[in-house]
Amino acid sequence: MIDLSEIAESIIEQNVTKTDKLTKAAVDTGISANEILDKGLMAAMQVVGEQFEKGEIFLPELLMSGEAAGAVLKWLRPLLTRREDKLNRKAAIGTVQGDIHDIGKNIVIMMLEGNGWEVTDLGIDVAPEDFCSAVREGDFQILGMSSLLTTTLPNAGKTIEALKAAGLRDKVKIMVGGAPVTKEWADKIGADAYAADGAVAVKVAVALIGKP
Amino acid sequence: MLTGLERLLKTIKLQEPDVVPHFEDIIDKKVRDAILPGSSFENFIEFMDMDGVCFYDRESAWKYEALDKGKGIYRDQWGGTVRFTQEVDCHPITPAIKSENDLDSYVPPDPDLDWRYERLKQLVKRFKGKRAIIIEVSDSLRVAGDFLLGDVAYFKAMITNPGLVDRVNEIVDNYQLKYIENCLDVGADIVFSCGDWAMTKGPMVSPKFIKRFVAPSFQKIAKYAHDRGVPCLKHTDGNIWSIFDTIIDSGADGIHPIDPVAGMDIGEAKNRFGSKICLMGNVNGATTLVTGTTEEVREETKAVIRKAGKGGGLICMSSSSIHSGVKPENYVAMVKAIRDYGKYPLP
Repeated sequence: MIDLSEIAESIIEQNVTKTDKLTKAAVDTGISANEILDKGLMAAMQVVGEQFEKGEIFLPELLMSGEAAGAVLKWLRPLLTRREDKLNRKAAIGTVQGDIHDIGKNIVIMMLEGNGWEVTDLGIDVAPEDFCSAVREGDFQILGMSSLLTTTLPNAGKTIEALKAAGLRDKVKIMVGGAPVTKEWADKIGADAYAADGAVAVKVAVALIGKP
Repeated sequence: MLTGLERLLKTIKLQEPDVVPHFEDIIDKKVRDAILPGSSFENFIEFMDMDGVCFYDRESAWKYEALDKGKGIYRDQWGGTVRFTQEVDCHPITPAIKSENDLDSYVPPDPDLDWRYERLKQLVKRFKGKRAIIIEVSDSLRVAGDFLLGDVAYFKAMITNPGLVDRVNEIVDNYQLKYIENCLDVGADIVFSCGDWAMTKGPMVSPKFIKRFVAPSFQKIAKYAHDRGVPCLKHTDGNIWSIFDTIIDSGADGIHPIDPVAGMDIGEAKNRFGSKICLMGNVNGATTLVTGTTEEVREETKAVIRKAGKGGGLICMSSSSIHSGVKPENYVAMVKAIRDYGKYPLP
């Protein structure tokens, strides 16, 4: 019997190969995908997120754990998409119009995916109308917007206004982040929440949709 | 009265000049036009009486080949693709090196091409001896990470393939050292190494990895500059408390911007490190200069000078650049406040 805490440990240790083998073995022995997700992947990513928040690990370690998380998801996705599961959590994320800095966005995506979210990457320099199209066409619970530049900050507000004008604002919860972004700014432009980094973004996203 | 060059050099040597010096690396054209309509960059430098003038490598000395002008897609000189929006900087889309095998046949750009130095020569001709000619050089973490390998691959390789990081760093170091040599031969006075090592909470990589992979490239640049009798400044955004010593030990003579967005306090920096390094910044270019009133800008500028100006070792400037979001009147207010409150001896 595979001990799922070993999968969690191997993710925390950033061991991609070991994580891949253990997950395959767990799937082969018939352990449910949801159990592997809960006790393996999500348990690990919670630890990894906390370590990153506390400054105990840095981008290289975070990215390697993210790769290990990807090895788990590779085995679980085909199983999870066929049943009622925790991947029923969907987010779309992009950097706002004019902003091309995406490492923060990519970390948020990685952390959300590592915590069982299905994330659509809208890319960089996303115009308000493109955010609107994504919300209109997708069934996302969360829309994330990132801006690193002070000059592009107002474009998050403009996107929210565009969503309101299109009658789409209430279809999603909106989370914003990026170096110059503050909670006060998020409140001012009418976002639902501010997340300081990728680890926090997971907690914020979960709190926004009100599910564990 | 000192020249701008003398003022900056004295300040960087941690001596008191006549007045706290000021320069900016980038001044957006929109801001320039609002202050001095139709002015050239050079005329604006003189109009604002800046102590230094910057020559930015990625803007003036790199080659970009248009692939799709409409979408702003270009091939950069390292071989990858980038995208330009309205800012001066471009964003890497695809890196030059996809696998380690690519490195064996990789041909780096040639730093010895004359056209790279044409604009620098013009600046030297106009300002030499009066204002410091400052060359802004993109550092290895930025170039190797963003343009050669891609940031994710670069960071991961620090754990999985350290030799690969060393190889790409060496490619960039060799180019940059030759580039700096050429710039100094043309007449540059100060080297300003730019590239972020930190985020708002702390360094991007551990202090151990900073020492192993990041600082050595800067150390080579600083040593070369010092061997030529030229000071070497470092820019990095973010919270750098845990790597401040490493930056100093690597040979930095000055550090910009003591990032207020990351909660860095310039008074604390002065107390802890002011006897070893010149502090540069830190009027908030994310908030105060963008949304503040001119009075708030004056007060913040005064506070920066009071906290960090005593004994010299302060170059008062924005914590970012004078980007397109800065209110023109706020930039003018900051410069005026530097002249009003920055006269030595300070109270």
